[in-house]
Amino acid sequence: MEKLVRSVALVALGAFAVGTGYGLVQQMVKISTLQSLNNNDISVEQALMVAQGAVDACKKDNSVISVAVVDRNGMTRFLVRGDGASPEMADNARRKAYTARTFRQNVSTWMERTAMDAKDDKGVRIDLNGQQYLENTITEPGGVPITRYADAIGGVGVTGAKGGPMADEACAQAGADAIADQLL
Amino acid sequence: MSRFSHLLIAAAAASLLTAPSAYAQTKLTSEMAMAAVKAVQAYARNDGSDPSTAVVDTNGDVVLLLKGNNAAPHNVGLAERKAFTANTFKMKSIEWRDVSMPGKDRASERQMPKVIPLGGGVPIMVGSEVVGAVGVSGTRGGQEGDTAGAQAGADAAAQLAQRPVAQN
Repeated sequence: MEKLVRSVALVALGAFAVGTGYGLVQQMVKISTLQSLNNNDISVEQALMVAQGAVDACKKDNSVISVAVVDRNGMTRFLVRGDGASPEMADNARRKAYTARTFRQNVSTWMERTAMDAKDDKGVRIDLNGQQYLENTITEPGGVPITRYADAIGGVGVTGAKGGPMADEACAQAGADAIADQLL
Repeated sequence: MSRFSHLLIAAAAASLLTAPSAYAQTKLTSEMAMAAVKAVQAYARNDGSDPSTAVVDTNGDVVLLLKGNNAAPHNVGLAERKAFTANTFKMKSIEWRDVSMPGKDRASERQMPKVIPLGGGVPIMVGSEVVGAVGVSGTRGGQEGDTAGAQAGADAAAQLAQRPVAQN
């Protein structure tokens, strides 16, 4: 009798072990094959902080700027048209932000890389000029990517700084820097 | 009616009857497009990259689009334009980039809408016939890498192609 009880208990234990093991393996397979994408993106609060950082940086010479912040997908997250800005300026700010985001570099750097006569470090010609034909891009400095671990999760673009496009880019950089400590 | 006009009508009727009823052309199927994108994905796995892929038919219309997991916002649109370019000029987009360089005879072709002078578009060749094109954007290795990935896709699609029998 004792033998029977022991063997029944052993069989039950074995069945339980096999069952849980099977379930565990199934879960692991599910996790490794159906894992959904968990991308980082900037939040509304971060977009506002970036924009505020850019506006503040441009206040020192009384520039009234237009600012755009785009998210990971290049979609507009924040857009403000500066007081008295000419009609195209808000959209140009968006295009600067988009260009910086999608090519993961400052627009001024991208313009150098995609110039007609651009060369790489070894002096070999790199023909990337075709990138300038892409819609939504713009060949005017003033856009900076928002980067987290070498991954561009957004971009900020500025137009209207009194110092011209390079001053736009300095203000945009100040905007991106405003949330840099949150992206570590 | 004169005998001459009777003859004319008979000749016209005869030519109508013997003319082919439809222009025979190999058609790009969605199956071919699926084979192409799978080949590109296989290339990407070896490559360790995450590209976006587009397949267009002879009209330049999209048959298939796939956006990479971590694609930059321009990648899908660029893949489509590369495929469009390869189909339009019936050559790899990287070759067309070189023949349409500013200063060359064909430079003005760059002003056409939707084409793009960047490598990564490859025509799908069935024999000597172009039946569509594959465009890839976002592999490692830049425009040459994109071209190699698209070539793998175009080859896979061409293998599935059935040549149609012209029907009279």
